[in-house]
Amino acid sequence: MQIVCCVKQVPDTTQVKIDPATNTLVRAGVESICNPYDLVAVEAAVKITEKYGGSVSVITMGIPSAEVQLRECLSLGAHQAILVSDRALAGADTLATSYTLASAIQKLNEIDPVQIVMCGKQAIDGDTAQTGPGIATRLGFTQLTYVSQIIGLDIQKQTITVRREIENASQIIEAKLPVMLTVELELGAARYATLPGLIKAIKHEIKVWGAKELSCTAEKCGLKGSPTSVKTIFAPPPRKGGPVYDTTEGMDQAVNSLLDTLFQKEAAIMSEILSNDSKVKNA
Amino acid sequence: MPKNSEGKDIAEVNPKKCSGCQACVGECPVGCIDIEDGVAKITAEKCIGCGKCVMVCPSDAILFDKPIKKKVVKPAEFVESGIAAYKGVAVFIEVKDGVAADVSWELVGKGRELAHKLNTNVMGFLVGHNVKSIAAEAISYGCDSVYVLDNSAFETYVSRVYGAALTELCRQVKPEVFLIGASSLGRDLSSVIATQLQTGLTADCTGLDVDPQEKLLMMTRPTFGGNIMATIYCRNHRPQMSTVRPKVFKMPKRDPARTGEIIPFKYDNVVEPLIEILETIKMDTANLVDITHSQVLVVVGKGACDSKNFQMLEELAALLGGSVACSRPLVEAGLLPYVRQVGQTGKTVAPKLYIGIGVSGAVQHMVGMQGSEKVMAINNDKNAQMVQVADYSIIGDYVKVVPELIKGLKARIPNIQTQGAQQ
Amino acid sequence: MNESYDVVIVGAGPAGISAACILADAGIKTMVIERGEYAGSKNTSGGVLYGYNLAQILPDFVARGCPIERNIVESRIWYLSKEAGLSIGYRDSIFANERKNNVFTVGRAKFDRWFAEQAKKKGALIVASTVVVDLLKDASGKVTGVVTNRQDGEVQAKVVLLADGVNSPLAAKTGFRPELKPEHVALAVKETIELPSEVIEQRFGVSAADGVTTEVLGEVTGGMDGVSIIYTNKNSISISVGANLAQFAKTKMKPYEMLEAYKLHPMVAPLIAGGKPIEYTAHWLAEGGFYTIPQLAGNGYLIAGDSAMLFNALHREGSNLAMASGKMAAEAIIAALKKNDVSKQSLSSYSKAMSESFVLKDMNKYRGFPGFLYNTHQLFDELPHVAQFAAREMLTVDGVTKKHKQKLIMDEVKKKIGLLNLAKIAWRGWRSVK
Repeated sequence: MQIVCCVKQVPDTTQVKIDPATNTLVRAGVESICNPYDLVAVEAAVKITEKYGGSVSVITMGIPSAEVQLRECLSLGAHQAILVSDRALAGADTLATSYTLASAIQKLNEIDPVQIVMCGKQAIDGDTAQTGPGIATRLGFTQLTYVSQIIGLDIQKQTITVRREIENASQIIEAKLPVMLTVELELGAARYATLPGLIKAIKHEIKVWGAKELSCTAEKCGLKGSPTSVKTIFAPPPRKGGPVYDTTEGMDQAVNSLLDTLFQKEAAIMSEILSNDSKVKNA
Repeated sequence: MPKNSEGKDIAEVNPKKCSGCQACVGECPVGCIDIEDGVAKITAEKCIGCGKCVMVCPSDAILFDKPIKKKVVKPAEFVESGIAAYKGVAVFIEVKDGVAADVSWELVGKGRELAHKLNTNVMGFLVGHNVKSIAAEAISYGCDSVYVLDNSAFETYVSRVYGAALTELCRQVKPEVFLIGASSLGRDLSSVIATQLQTGLTADCTGLDVDPQEKLLMMTRPTFGGNIMATIYCRNHRPQMSTVRPKVFKMPKRDPARTGEIIPFKYDNVVEPLIEILETIKMDTANLVDITHSQVLVVVGKGACDSKNFQMLEELAALLGGSVACSRPLVEAGLLPYVRQVGQTGKTVAPKLYIGIGVSGAVQHMVGMQGSEKVMAINNDKNAQMVQVADYSIIGDYVKVVPELIKGLKARIPNIQTQGAQQ
Repeated sequence: MNESYDVVIVGAGPAGISAACILADAGIKTMVIERGEYAGSKNTSGGVLYGYNLAQILPDFVARGCPIERNIVESRIWYLSKEAGLSIGYRDSIFANERKNNVFTVGRAKFDRWFAEQAKKKGALIVASTVVVDLLKDASGKVTGVVTNRQDGEVQAKVVLLADGVNSPLAAKTGFRPELKPEHVALAVKETIELPSEVIEQRFGVSAADGVTTEVLGEVTGGMDGVSIIYTNKNSISISVGANLAQFAKTKMKPYEMLEAYKLHPMVAPLIAGGKPIEYTAHWLAEGGFYTIPQLAGNGYLIAGDSAMLFNALHREGSNLAMASGKMAAEAIIAALKKNDVSKQSLSSYSKAMSESFVLKDMNKYRGFPGFLYNTHQLFDELPHVAQFAAREMLTVDGVTKKHKQKLIMDEVKKKIGLLNLAKIAWRGWRSVK
């Protein structure tokens, strides 16, 4: 049984800033990290193989430097890593990305049957949550998104039981293998790699596959294979601020003049808020 | 204009503007662009100065002065590719436990506006079991027609079952725009359909519009962890698909007098679900606060992290009939549950009054509350981003300001003392 | 499973990586353990490097894509009073041509990453994000390996090279180096100010690839015993101000305030006008000098770089001493491994090589360097020649000890000007700014 984890190199979005002078994103120099949700997926995959056997393969589609993130996954216990990297694949949207990754998984499947594909719930840079379902659809795998717990595998019956989170409820689901899971952080943080694990990861020879190795149709991958195009990227126009009341000039005065203005200028909103109807509804 | 050592005109990247999207890397015919330190870099000696990268760059980050001919897609090409056959704005009507999700009606409302600009009509795509009454509702919220797939197999949502059915419906009806609510169901479903239809999908949009010239749907969404917005379009594939988070668009007025067509869609090839839902564990909704439904939100930020002051914030919220919500650091610190979180990774809210207490106003948070009608900030830093955008701000220590505010409100609201005591 | 290596190097800074390159070249199984996420990630220093030292380790460093910010063609020395400054600069076209990259600036985060990559290419294993918490010793006290903070984290080694920097908790823990006293450590704060490259080139009068370093003495540190250095990077100017930690404690001055005041100095302000501060960092410098250098070799271990307090306070040349010491340590290790003897006695060839090299000789002798370079504003006819001779000699890094160079310079001075005249110039120069 082979488990494939799809991981993504992402900019550490907590570090990304907007240049206030030009109102543009400052991407340069922001460190790249492995998408945190994907690390959770790798950890869960390794735990499954520790219990049920099998191997974990990690794949990423990205620029050559994404090798760093693959090695991180290897240090956590993944058995092999594949870097899907090719200029022809650059600029892909989610449709083209899921096509390329599905092609890579199919290639892995020819060597050792792939029973489980795992992805993070979403990537912290794009937050689209589309690539996982896209891969599942292309491969014809059962799709289980927002998985927060892996309850067990039944190798005989070829089923997996998981808990998944939906709005205001959780579901316990038994699904037929092969499956594609996208995982929540609740599944459990990645371990701290052992020293031998880390050394093994550094020494591991990472396979690099391009569009040719994957026998990808050129029209279906990269920028060409992407139905969506980005027209513009811009910082959201800020709301305009209103009056500022400073309490250093007297607490009582500041608060009361604010409330006076509020009740006067926003009379409609205030009366709606304070009407008994809405109070009952919201209480 | 930059030149290489041979004096040839070449393109050059402004690293301060580049977002690292790699569109130029994919576009460059000679492979002279690489991503370094997160941004594109052009190898001057390899660049042939064709300017193709300039065309695809969404950030205006490539310097190149030579005039470039913009490729204009003629309507004839659309006819040829079959795109012209796609008409109308479709909205997926999400049903859960026999009730339609509000976001579906919000999208019908927005769909009307888009349909007006596209000179077309709005269709509801309804999947479920015994959903006749919802079809009628869809008409009163603004649908011109509703396609209904009613089957006991649709009683409970399963992605592949719904996905296959809606894919077939799209293939038959051919809508030019297909909108889906970005609920957990919608996010699970949308990519299944888009992948099967081989069309573009733009997730979690916060803005939708129609380009007046090309009549293309312009979909705007936050990206880079909500740090920035991107406007995305889908030129050569149909339908143009988009998911939109709840509360981004206003609920339309319900008009029971509206008329429209309800069209039962014949669909027999229901696919195998391949999953079995063994158990559904509902959260205790009695005690569950849905911050997206509150008209007033008292939002606690990093600057008001002390849990011993939460009681007075609760009192303020209760006084206004609202609830307490928070920004991300409070959830991360374990002080408030995730269901209370506002922002890109939490809930999108649009209350009538938003009161931010010690909320700095990071963009990630702002994208989740920008639909608020009026914003009040209480902050001891007058330079905080939240103060810059708030309609009303009080600068001072919230521990002192909030009790004063409660006192002032009680004085201004008739009969408030008795009600306040009840809560 | 325990890992076993010939040599474990603690720290992937210039000392550790220099040693790793030499060892890997000799086919020795080497592991470098770095606490940061990657080599250079914990390194806040930016700096001036000397091509001579780097070429000793990587002769083809330019071809290997060394991330050089600017090639230094001019060195300035300033002596500042509160409102005034005396400046002497030496520019030589030789540094733009034949002796290009003799001195250059680098961003250490970038440089260290590149440098470690070269060691990796040569065959050394670089393990990052891992902290060495203790040393393994046998019954006799001989060092036999290291203990890291990871599970199954012991590594056996024939020799351990400690190159983990000035505030190495390991050196203190093992007792190989006496506990640092505040007066042996300087605190340096540095701000990097972003400016368009054309503006930098205009303000310093240099072409696109070239740059200037300025070493500053005088009232730069609020009356404290300290120095400053200003150097040009590609798109930024770095200003660092350092003073002794003991002095900070005494004067209660805040490092940031010291830097802010310094930025307003009439000599400094015009250079950085309109720039945008992009980075503010603080770091420690081993400043104790010669007398704080610990025993450099023991049974199964050696110490190199900042962790051995190898730092020339006047010329801020820590990285260069670190590289030279790393190289010498590696050579001693190679010899010891060949003899199959890693005892203190065997490894002491490192201490011996060091004391015979410019590294220790400079450190021993440096404070005697006369102040005439600071006082040559009243230029006599004879001085330019001497200045050129002296500066060219002093600023060319070629492994010749500064003591020997100083002798050459003094001979020249005696011949051209005479010592008494020079003393007068020096005296007047001193009084004019004091």
